[in-house]
Amino acid sequence: MTAAQTTTAPNATAPDATTREPAAAVPPRFAGARRFARAFRRRPSGLAGLGILVLFSLLALTAPAFIGPEQLDVTRVNGPLLAPPSAAYPFGTDQAGRSVLDLLIWGSRESLQIGVIATVLTVVFGSAVGIVAGHYGGFLGRALMHVTDWFIALPGLPLAISLAAVLGQGTTSITIAIAATSWTATARLLRAQTLAVEARPFVERARALGAGNWQIMLRQVLPNVMPLILVSSTLTVTGALLSEATLTFLGLGSPAGVTWGEMIHDAFFGGAFTADAWWYLLPPGLAILAVVLGFTLTGRAVEYVLDPRTERKR
Amino acid sequence: MSSPAAVAEPAVAAPEPRSGRPFRVPRPGYLISKLAAAAVSFAVTLVIGFVLFNVMPADPVRSMTRGRPVSDAQLAQLRIQLGVDRPMWERFLSYVNDTLHGHLGYSWEYQQSVASLVASRVGPTLLLMGTSFAVSVVLGLWLGMRSGWRAGSVFDRFTSATALTLWSVPTFWLGMILLIVFSVGIGPIHGFLPTAGMSDPTLPQTGMTHCLDVARHLVLPALTMVLVVYAQYVTIMRSSIIAEKGSPYLLTARAKGLPDASVRRHHALPNALLPSVTMIFMHLGGLISGAVTVEAVFSWPGLGDLTYEALKIPDLPLLQGTFIVFSASVILMNLLADLVYRFLDPRVRAQ
Amino acid sequence: MVVRESGRVRAVLAAACVGGVLLAGPAALTAAASATAHRSASATSRTTLRVAMDRSGVDTLNPFTAFFNGSLDILGSIYPTLTAIDENGVPGPYLASSWALSSDHLTWSFKIRDGLRWSDGKPLTADDAAWTFNLIRTNTVAGTANGTLVANFASVTAPDATTLVIKTKQPQANVTYVSIPVSGIQIVPKHIWQSHAANLKDYKNDTFPVVGYGPWVLTDYRTAQYAKLDANKSFILGAPKYDQLIEQLYKASDAAVAALKAGQLDYINGVNATQFTSLRHVGGVQTAQAVGNGWTGVELNPGARTRTGKAIGTGNPALTDPTMRRAIAQAIDKKTLLAKVIDGQGQVAAGYLPPAWPQWSWKPSAGEEQPYAPAAANKMLDAAGYRLGPDGIRVGPKTGKPLNLRLGIHSDSSSDAAISTYLAGWLKAIGVKVVIQPMSMTALNSDLGKGDWDMLMDSWTTGPDPTYLLGIQSCSTLPNDDGTGGNTDAFFCDPAYDKLFSQQASIFDPAQRAQLVGQVQDILYQADVDQLLYYATDKIAASSRVSGLITGKEGVDGFYPAQTSFWSYLKAAPVARSASSGGGSTGVWLGLAGALVVLGAGGVILRRRAGADDRE
Repeated sequence: MTAAQTTTAPNATAPDATTREPAAAVPPRFAGARRFARAFRRRPSGLAGLGILVLFSLLALTAPAFIGPEQLDVTRVNGPLLAPPSAAYPFGTDQAGRSVLDLLIWGSRESLQIGVIATVLTVVFGSAVGIVAGHYGGFLGRALMHVTDWFIALPGLPLAISLAAVLGQGTTSITIAIAATSWTATARLLRAQTLAVEARPFVERARALGAGNWQIMLRQVLPNVMPLILVSSTLTVTGALLSEATLTFLGLGSPAGVTWGEMIHDAFFGGAFTADAWWYLLPPGLAILAVVLGFTLTGRAVEYVLDPRTERKR
Repeated sequence: MSSPAAVAEPAVAAPEPRSGRPFRVPRPGYLISKLAAAAVSFAVTLVIGFVLFNVMPADPVRSMTRGRPVSDAQLAQLRIQLGVDRPMWERFLSYVNDTLHGHLGYSWEYQQSVASLVASRVGPTLLLMGTSFAVSVVLGLWLGMRSGWRAGSVFDRFTSATALTLWSVPTFWLGMILLIVFSVGIGPIHGFLPTAGMSDPTLPQTGMTHCLDVARHLVLPALTMVLVVYAQYVTIMRSSIIAEKGSPYLLTARAKGLPDASVRRHHALPNALLPSVTMIFMHLGGLISGAVTVEAVFSWPGLGDLTYEALKIPDLPLLQGTFIVFSASVILMNLLADLVYRFLDPRVRAQ
Repeated sequence: MVVRESGRVRAVLAAACVGGVLLAGPAALTAAASATAHRSASATSRTTLRVAMDRSGVDTLNPFTAFFNGSLDILGSIYPTLTAIDENGVPGPYLASSWALSSDHLTWSFKIRDGLRWSDGKPLTADDAAWTFNLIRTNTVAGTANGTLVANFASVTAPDATTLVIKTKQPQANVTYVSIPVSGIQIVPKHIWQSHAANLKDYKNDTFPVVGYGPWVLTDYRTAQYAKLDANKSFILGAPKYDQLIEQLYKASDAAVAALKAGQLDYINGVNATQFTSLRHVGGVQTAQAVGNGWTGVELNPGARTRTGKAIGTGNPALTDPTMRRAIAQAIDKKTLLAKVIDGQGQVAAGYLPPAWPQWSWKPSAGEEQPYAPAAANKMLDAAGYRLGPDGIRVGPKTGKPLNLRLGIHSDSSSDAAISTYLAGWLKAIGVKVVIQPMSMTALNSDLGKGDWDMLMDSWTTGPDPTYLLGIQSCSTLPNDDGTGGNTDAFFCDPAYDKLFSQQASIFDPAQRAQLVGQVQDILYQADVDQLLYYATDKIAASSRVSGLITGKEGVDGFYPAQTSFWSYLKAAPVARSASSGGGSTGVWLGLAGALVVLGAGGVILRRRAGADDRE
């Protein structure tokens, strides 16, 4: 690890109540996890980030309880068109008379869903490639790394645009496009880490005891690179969220979908400027900003806590 | 992909060019091997480009002619002209051959060669990207150096926090906000910058006036890109400086009684600059990504805008063309970064 | 850490410098540019009309291959045509001062005006027109855009400088519509184009000023930016009132509206409903709606077939049943769509040809029109044997499968998205489930051609000659057995329709032709294959510093007749100016201060508490 990750963002906000005991449910044998939680709590910026994430996750998960088709279906809403914020509509309305607040909350569901699914795809695929490449070395490893390098050389957005355009509009193709263009970083990282782990004595021991390739990769390497996967996935998720917004803005999303990117798209191309409807344009962008920042801060804090060098210093 | 991963990389991965594999010492065949690698990369790009745009069975003829009176004979003629009926391998071979000769296909939408479309749009993109790149590199490196040298100071906290916040913003959204504030005008603010385009057609298109006019149109799109991109450079430079700060040679320099500023400028900076500049070149892909959306928001007549136009249909040959051009430029930049780095590294030159 | 003063001072100075450039740069540039703008405005007293180019932009300036509306608007202003559509929507004189038709209805003689000259001074004669027409007839590339318009021409000759003779193979009623500004064939100067005929495909026609004849001369074009045109003060149909015309391209329509509000633009044709509503109350801006020259509708797949009658594609067989299609037609509430989707800015559609061309427009007679009657639709389906399944979805009597219909929509169209949600709800009420599929235009058209669709959103616009739009509903546009060819709109094919369609093409009495055109629209209306929803109006916003831009008289419904760029730009005249432009610099500084506050706030929120542990 380099000194780069010690660039932790500052923070002054009090931690959210829900984040105070992140490890409460963990069984006692995970002493490491407890230690982790203790150390994490000392990183206020990380707690703030986690707070943002918990808030948005709660919103996303509970949204169906208070938002239904009556609020989102353009055929059923009856609000004023592009009305400024008022008591009835705290964030105003869009061109179809829907409450921007409702859209924003519902959008967190779909945006986060795309971001998380794309990240899972990215991390699973990238880790698999990285671990296999690191473990086998030789021809297979070199070949896999060459493929990875080729993909790294391709500019991400044009590739994602092309993929999404060819696959057709919609959330599925956007998700695939994001995953297909972001797995390379994870793969590279995991390969380096796998090499490091495999050089450690316990892997030698396991090999001497007759453990097979799969056993070593799954039992020895995977648990040891897990923290790194975690950290890298928080950073992948921020990329996925921004990419989702970008691709949707470029018109590759589903026009009937409600995501933050789609909201910005509709606001920009639907006449929000002419009507000076800042209340329609601002919230989705700020929401993206908040969630991306939340993931980044959390990821950096986790990374800092997991860094063996910081442990030594204490 | 785009900018976030680019920032994520230096933060998590060990900076490859610094502590890396043994090719610190340039071998005689070094240049050749790098060139070969770039050529292979380009070849892979070609294959990916072809597969991407040809796997989906799309009959462009209808899209092209919709809304215009065309006869059956013309439809058949168009199909032959576009080569839709030829077998796949034949199309691949002619595609590779054409691309290598600078023919990037024939746009469905514009009824003209993709190469000529690209050529007509390259200038504005270079101007926009060059300006934003230069400004963000200078700004990013300077801020990164200052904040890295005094990690933890108020200046560092402010710089890092601002950079982190701006980096978390979707580029195009930031562009829209700047547009609504400075061009459209909101509340008491009157818009005073142009809303779109690259020059005002009512002014003369030559001389100083034109330069100023273009600069005026350039302000918002360039500012948007700078604000989002410079953060990466701050992070990169900051971590490089922090890494150098612990080096023994700095201790020596300090022990000699050199003032802090001199140590920073003459000792830490040159060493930290090198890996940073290399990383910056390697992250040019992120700049391109920004260009696509920023050009779309500000109607900047460049390649990004062309890509955006092509997406609407989608005009596959045009998308393919811009994809190849973008990829080729990134490959070229990476190659340059590699070569320049080996050439400039004092530890290498010393030998 | 030890503070080294000299370094700090220098850093502050540098920061101030960088910040100063960043912040003051725009302001200085603005000041400089506006100063030059004022200077140049006072130095040359030329009047300039600034209009927003059609958002499609310019694909090429080559009139033989141009498709985009942005190109056609320019080409229509710089190249002459035989006739021009007058205020009543019918062909009137332009290059041709008069014309006559032989008694066998096969030979047209156009009297070409004498003494006209191209912009380079060379005489403009009937020979130029004959050469252009013949090039389109014989050269495939030249026929790219308008080949079919002359497909029925047997010969085109110019016996003398002022006579053009067109002989057709079959009688053809629309010859006077073939060469009209914007949507018809533009006549080019033979002496310029002769040498380019061989490689027409690659000829970009970008030597400025472009030699032509029309109300304007194209003097400059910058890719994806703007076109500049100078007025032709000796134009035969009246000189333009402005000295210069600038068509500027704005990709985002809001940018164009912002420019209009800021006084940088005079005319936008095609603002959206939201913009129109907000612009109505803006000072200095006049708004108008012109009757729509197109419709928005949904197509039902009546059973895709090839020319020989072979069934193709995966269309739902239930839609081949006319009862099913009629039931769907009666389940759609067009009035609500008009009110909700386009804010009431249009008319409910019925006839296939849009109201912009009143001579062809047709309405169902009283008692024949299909009302919004979901109850009746349900009854109809019950009677036809479509049982309701347990989930409220009907089951096809023949297939025994629940009625699930795909609805393809254009993924870039917000109105398609809105309409499709309404349709899904209304069709559910009659027991039909709709699956909405957003697709790119290419994908949609590809599925359409292969017959792999149930329902599709569709929209068309047309010029004053209805032949093409009517043509795409005829059996001859079905695809061949191998899947190639054909540009059918929705696989509609009815011999009775085809018979009337070919008849109207050779009827020369306008009233009689209109009657036949009405009959073919009746057949389409009864078939329920093209469900026309509404005709959206053409929404225009213009600066009140310009008069005459909006042509024609406002109708009783508040709509103006169809507008064409050719007449609008020609008739536009400056109104005496009084408004001053330019924003106050206080606003500038307020804006910058605001931006700094935002940045500062971000920093404060993220203020670091513990930074010491980072130090090494």
